Amino acid sequence: MTQPVFEARDVSRIFEPAQGALQRLGDRLAGRQPPLVRAVDRVTLSVSEGETLGIVGESGCGKSTLARMIAGILPVSGGERRYRGEGYDSFLARKRDALKVQMVFQDPMSSLNPRLKVGEIIGEAAALHGVVPRAQIRRYVVETLNRVGLPADAIDRYPHEFSGGQRQRVGIARALAVKPDLLVCDEAVAALDVSVQAQIINLLMDIKQDSGLSMIFISHDLGLIRHLCDRVAVMYLGRVVELAGTEELFSNPTHPYTQMLLAGMPQISLKRRTFMPIKGEIPSPLAPPPGCHFHPRCLAATDHCSTRRPELVELAPGHTHACLNAGLTRN
Amino acid sequence: MSRASLAEFAGRFAESRVGLASLAVTLFFLFCALFAPLLSPTDPYDLSRLELIDALKPMGSPQVLPGEEFRANFAVTDGVATPDGDVGDLATASCGERCIAVRLASAETELASLQVRSLPKGMSVEGASKHPVQPWWTVNDPEGNGVRIVSDEPLPAAFSFSVIAKTAEQPTDFVFVAGTDAFGRDMLSAILYGIRISIFVGVLAAGSAMVIGTGLGLLAAWRGGVTDAVIMRTVDFMLSFPAILVGLSILAILGSGVDKVIMAVVLVQWCYYARTSRSLALSELNKEYVEAARCLRLPAWRIMLRHVLPNCMPQIIVLFTLNIAAAISLESSLSFLGVGLPLTQPSLGMLIANGYEFIFSQKYWISFGPGLVLLVMIVAMNLLGDRLRDLNNPRFDR
Repeated sequence: MTQPVFEARDVSRIFEPAQGALQRLGDRLAGRQPPLVRAVDRVTLSVSEGETLGIVGESGCGKSTLARMIAGILPVSGGERRYRGEGYDSFLARKRDALKVQMVFQDPMSSLNPRLKVGEIIGEAAALHGVVPRAQIRRYVVETLNRVGLPADAIDRYPHEFSGGQRQRVGIARALAVKPDLLVCDEAVAALDVSVQAQIINLLMDIKQDSGLSMIFISHDLGLIRHLCDRVAVMYLGRVVELAGTEELFSNPTHPYTQMLLAGMPQISLKRRTFMPIKGEIPSPLAPPPGCHFHPRCLAATDHCSTRRPELVELAPGHTHACLNAGLTRN
Repeated sequence: MSRASLAEFAGRFAESRVGLASLAVTLFFLFCALFAPLLSPTDPYDLSRLELIDALKPMGSPQVLPGEEFRANFAVTDGVATPDGDVGDLATASCGERCIAVRLASAETELASLQVRSLPKGMSVEGASKHPVQPWWTVNDPEGNGVRIVSDEPLPAAFSFSVIAKTAEQPTDFVFVAGTDAFGRDMLSAILYGIRISIFVGVLAAGSAMVIGTGLGLLAAWRGGVTDAVIMRTVDFMLSFPAILVGLSILAILGSGVDKVIMAVVLVQWCYYARTSRSLALSELNKEYVEAARCLRLPAWRIMLRHVLPNCMPQIIVLFTLNIAAAISLESSLSFLGVGLPLTQPSLGMLIANGYEFIFSQKYWISFGPGLVLLVMIVAMNLLGDRLRDLNNPRFDR
């Protein structure tokens, strides 16, 4: 088996809510643990060469935090990340190599520095790290602009002169300009109109086909994920609950949460469907339910769901899920 | 900035008339400040050139040269006066038995007064007023530039007297356009030099405070934790004192002088920049473009200086223009209290303070000129700062 481009093993991220000094002192005197938010809780996943991994989940389930840890912007609180088998500590220390993992951001407004021209935004890192010789940087930027479908005269314009879709193209060009192996797209099209979304999705797919880079595509849109990804990880409250190939997952979801998500997905069909919303609200990450995080909303929950944390188990080759009632939920 | 973008920037700037006008006024004052020694008719720092006769002259009055003075001693023996030493143009003549005439030989100059001193008892000068105590007789505007010394009794065999002749004051072509102050200093020159000092102190102090304060603010925002806490608590501490108190204490310790005043202003003002730049930088650091820059593995200093700082600059520039005005006023307050600049090198604020005591005696011009100049200068600087802020932010433009 070939080595994956990126691998995360038991990666966690714990945030401590900002508290005043008095509150902290009081907590310490009373022997209380300060409340912690486990934004990402022991997530294990990998991306192999040329693969697109989808990560899907509700808002606040830790997708973006995970994306930032994969991109090396946020440190991990526990677990380890590997790029082609190398630990992230040494990988990120070599700035030139660390460019191999890049990110496309959600908000096309705030992800571009309004004071830099598009040419500077795209070319800065490539010039600074010596990806391209400085003398050729302008030509290289024009090439990159063409690659993402922007005219060459965009180079001397400011981000505010562009539409949302064009800005997102600039954001993609910025990531591509440093020749990455792995592109992390964090809700890259969520802020765009549907028609523009389609253009950006097509652009991403073209780029992937041309350069064969691996991609992690994070979204809450199941349709997009299905369209784009080879494998999908479903996240709920900081944990991966199910991980399978796209076809397998959409045709044969095993985790109750995935099943409910898919049941709520809009479909074009003439059949009358009964629509069953997932009951309840997503719990506060400050006080997640014990055991399986999903058990208060789960239709198949049994007693031990509230006491034992389900680990990821392999049901079929390449299909894992974290549910204690594996046999029950298989349909 | 390349030449093309500079031209583009200038073109966009020119779209606002107010901006252009404020730029013109500010540049005019900058020109005045730079070339004050060439522009000003007199050198107000040269104390030896000041004449008290010119003091407190209103606007538009001509300079007056004080009259010349001749002193001469005469010795009289047997009714004949002979010069004792150099007597210049003064000459004596006999005008009878008990009479000696003293007059200025040359007819061109006209005497304003002629005084005869140390006459023996019994002698006097015709038409003169005598000093109440001293044996001095003074004739104002003497007829024919001469006086007659007369005696009731026969003249003593030998005596001497001295003569002091004063010529009239002469108005010159030079006009004090803006009047003079209590030292007879030409206000126009003083204002030009005052602009120079005020702008120098204001720009240098506010500029140094900006560099130091913004640097510390960015450092606090980037590092967070203990660094942030130490810097920001220092800022809180500094801001809890009134600026004038901080300035006074610093100058009390350091002594007065231009460099000390600048140091005091910097110490007062850096915290405004630190606080502003920190909060601006914190909000900028939350934006995704900073994350993108970190993902592009740009060095921290580059992210702060090239990505975050330019996005904070508009507000900092506005703060800078306001703080120039604040620095000028703080400096003049300190000068007013006598701990700022030396009296021999007055700033605009100090000129205003100097004239303040004369305002109620209707000598308004001493404060009026510098006050008007200061007002126009500060308004122009603020308008210019506003215009620059709008231009600096591409989103506000158009």
